[in-house]
Amino acid sequence: MAEPLVTLSAIRKQFGSVLANDDVSLTINGGEVLALLGENGAGKSTLMKILYALYAADGGTILIDGRPTSFASPREAMAAGIGMVFQQFSLVPALSVLENLLAALPGAPWLQPRRSARVQAALRWLTRLAPNINPGTAVRALSVGERQLVELAKVLNLNARVVILDEPTSVLTPAEAERLYGFIRTLAAEGKAVVLITHKLADIAACANRIIVMRGGRIVDAAPARERSPEALVDAMVGRGVVGSLPVPAAPTSHVPVLQVRGLTAQVQGPFVRHVSFELAAGEILGIAGVSGNGQFTLAETLAGLVPASTGDVVLDGVSIASRAHDGAIAGSVAYIPERPLDNAVVAELDLALNLSLREARRLPLFPRRETIVRRAEALMARYDVRPPRPALGASALSGGNLQKLVIARELSRKAKLVIACYPAMGLDVLAAQAVYREMFRQAADGACVVWISEELDDLLSYAHRIAVMHDGAIMGIVRREDADRQVLGRWMAGHGRNAA
Amino acid sequence: MNPSTSTKIIAVLGGVAAFLGTAAIFLAAIGRPPFATLMQMALYAFGDSYSLSESLVKATPILLCALSVILPARLGLITVGAEGQLYFGALTGTAVVVSYPAAPMIVLMPAMLVAGAAGGAFWSGVAGLLRARSNVNETISTLLMNYVAVLLVSYVIYGAWKDPTSLGWPATIPFPKAATVPSVFGTRAHAGLVVGIIAAVILHIAVTYARWGLALRVLAGNRKVASMAGFDFNRQTLLVMAIGGALAGFAGICETSAIQGRLQAGISVGYGLTGFLVAWLSGQHFLRAIPIAVLVGGLIAAGDALQLYAKVPSASATIMQGLLFAVALGASGLAGKRTTRHG
Repeated sequence: MAEPLVTLSAIRKQFGSVLANDDVSLTINGGEVLALLGENGAGKSTLMKILYALYAADGGTILIDGRPTSFASPREAMAAGIGMVFQQFSLVPALSVLENLLAALPGAPWLQPRRSARVQAALRWLTRLAPNINPGTAVRALSVGERQLVELAKVLNLNARVVILDEPTSVLTPAEAERLYGFIRTLAAEGKAVVLITHKLADIAACANRIIVMRGGRIVDAAPARERSPEALVDAMVGRGVVGSLPVPAAPTSHVPVLQVRGLTAQVQGPFVRHVSFELAAGEILGIAGVSGNGQFTLAETLAGLVPASTGDVVLDGVSIASRAHDGAIAGSVAYIPERPLDNAVVAELDLALNLSLREARRLPLFPRRETIVRRAEALMARYDVRPPRPALGASALSGGNLQKLVIARELSRKAKLVIACYPAMGLDVLAAQAVYREMFRQAADGACVVWISEELDDLLSYAHRIAVMHDGAIMGIVRREDADRQVLGRWMAGHGRNAA
Repeated sequence: MNPSTSTKIIAVLGGVAAFLGTAAIFLAAIGRPPFATLMQMALYAFGDSYSLSESLVKATPILLCALSVILPARLGLITVGAEGQLYFGALTGTAVVVSYPAAPMIVLMPAMLVAGAAGGAFWSGVAGLLRARSNVNETISTLLMNYVAVLLVSYVIYGAWKDPTSLGWPATIPFPKAATVPSVFGTRAHAGLVVGIIAAVILHIAVTYARWGLALRVLAGNRKVASMAGFDFNRQTLLVMAIGGALAGFAGICETSAIQGRLQAGISVGYGLTGFLVAWLSGQHFLRAIPIAVLVGGLIAAGDALQLYAKVPSASATIMQGLLFAVALGASGLAGKRTTRHG
C-alpha cells in the first residue's frame, strides 16, 4: 500500500461558535484498522461525517486515491467506496433482513424474483459475517448486535473500501463485541480500511493498528497502537495542563458525614452500579472520573432517587432518599443536573418559564399566577445568560448549551443539601463552564455535598476535594486531591485495580 | 387571523360539508330524499322545545362520559371504560334505592347520587390501581371491565333485585319519587346535564390554571422530570381515574333514576363509547366537549324520531353517527397535516 486510500488535510468545521474540527489532517490506509479515539464532543464523529459527506467542511481538502474529491452527498461517497455504520441504525424494523439488504442495493427493480442474482449479491456479506442470521427474519426480532452486523453487511454490499464504524461496541455485550473485533480484523486482512470511532480503550486493545487521539476538535496524538499504554491514551484523551482560573474551593470545615452511600447497587437496562459506597461531609466535593458509559449516569440517577436501588441505601442528613424522588421533601433538597438535558431534565412540551418553575412546582400556590412565574423565569434567565431570554419559548427551541444553562439555573439557584452534577460543563464554552463551576462551588461553600461526575480529569484535579474513579459500575478507588496521581487514576480508569497493575 | 385559527375553521367547515355530503349519499342510497330528510333530522334534533329536550337528554350521559375520558387523557392515559363505569354507578346507586326505598328524599337522593358516583369511581379506580401498581395497560383493563359491569347489572335485575310485580320483566322496582332526579327547564332534561356542564367548567379551570394542571402536564410530558419536581405518577393516575369514573357513574345513576325510572338492561345505548369519541373529537378539551356532546345527542335523538315518523331503518341513525365521527376525525387529521406542512 504505497498510497493512502484517503488523505484528509487541514479539515475545519465550525458549528455556531464551537470549532468542531480545527485543522485536522490524517491518512487512512487499506489493510489497517485506524482507531479514532476521543471523548464525547472531541470532533471525531464530525470528522468522519465530513468524509462521508453528511457535513460539508468549512475548510480543507479530501484526497481519495490521491485525487482531490468533493462529494455532494453520502450517495456519492458510497459510490467512491466509503461506507459508514452509525450508532443509530438505518434498518426498517418491520422488514426482513433480506428485504432491508435488497432495498439498500442501487437500482431496485419493480419485481424481485426469489432466487435472482440480486438476492445472492445482497446476501453475499451477510452469510460471511453472520451465517446464523436467517435472512427471512424481521429485523425487529434481531438483537442489537445482530442488527449491527446486518448494517455492516449493508455497507459492505456497496463495495465499501473504507468502512467507518461509529462507536460500534457501545451497544454490544462483551461477547458480541469480541465477535465484531474478529470481523474488523478480517476486513483489514482483506485489504479494506477500517476506521473505528470510539472512546473505549478495550476497542483499541482488541483490534486497532494505529491510533489517532482527538481532543477539542484537534489531533493531540497519533501513533501505532502498540506504542501507547492505556494510561497514556487516557491522558491524551482527557488532557492535562489546561489551567483553570477559579479559586480552589475551601476544604470542608467538618468531617461529619452528611451523605452516606452504602453498598449501592442499581441497574437500568444495561449500565449498572455495583456496591458503591462513599461518605461526604457538608461542603465536600467528590469528583467522579472515568471513561463515560461505566455506570456514572446510573449512579447519578440512583443518587437523585430516580432509579430504585436494588440493594444498599443513600442517606442524606439522616434521611434515606433512595428511590424517593417524588417525595416533596427530597425534591426540595437535592439539585440534579443530568446528562442530555432535553431528555432528562426538561419537559419539551412546556415553555421555559414552567420548566424553570418545576423544582418549586409543589410549593406553588393552588392557582399559580402566570406573571409571577414568568417574572421569576426572566430573572433567572438573565442571571444565567440563557439565550434567547424569552420565557414563553418551548424547551425544545433552545440549543444544547443554553438548555444546559437553563437546567443549571433551575437546579443551582436554590440552596441544596446535595448537588449531583453529571457532565455539567458539556456543550458549554470555557466561560460558561467556569460560571457553572462557580455556582457548583458556591453550593459547596454553603454546605452542600457535591457529587461531580466529569470526563475533564484536569478540572477534577484542580477543584474536587476527593476523586473517585468508576469503572464497569464499581468505584475503583477514592483519593484526596493532594494524593492523586494521574498514573494511578489512569490505571483505575482502564480497569486495573489497586493491586492488579 | 393567525394560520392555526383559519386552519381550524376550514377543518370544521370542511368536516360539516363532508358529513352532509356523505350523509346525503347514504340517504339517497337507501331511497330517501337526502335534502328533505336531513332538514327533517335537524328539526327533530333542535326544531322545537320537545326535540331539544330529547337531544339534551341524550347529550347528558354522553357529556359526562366524555369528561371521564378527557381527564385521564390529560395524564396520557387512554381509557375506554366509561360504559362499564356508567353501569357500575347505576348498580351501586340503585343498591341504595332498593335497600331503603321508603327513606325521605333529603336522605335518599344524595345517598343515591353519591353511591352512584362512588361506584363509578371504584370501578375506574381498580383500573387505575392496576396501572399504578403493576403497570397493567389501562385501555385493556377498562375495556374488559365494561363487560363485567354490564353483566353484573343483568345478574341483579334477573335475580336478587327483580321486581316481583313486574310480571317477569327483568327490572328493579320503580324508583320512588324521593329517588327521582328532578328535571330542569320544565323538560325531560334532568339535573345531570347541569352537573355535567359545571363539572366541565371546573375541570377546565383546574387543568388550565391550577397547579394540578401543571402536574398533569409534566407527568404526561416527562415522567423522570416529574419525579424530580416531586409529582407522583401513581397517585395522579388513581386520582384522575377515580374522578373520571365518578362522573361516568353519576351519569349511570342519573340515567337510571331520571330517564328509565328503574334499573333494567340497556340503560345505556353505547353512551360510554360515544363519550369516548366525543372526547377525541374535542381534542381532549373539556369545554369543547359540551357543544359536541349536544350535537351528537341531537343526532341520536333525531335518529330515533326518524325511525318513528319517517320509517327509516333504526340502524340509519347509528350509521350516520359513524359517518359523523369518521368524517370529523378525517377532517381534523387533514387539518393537522396542513398545519405541520406549513409550520
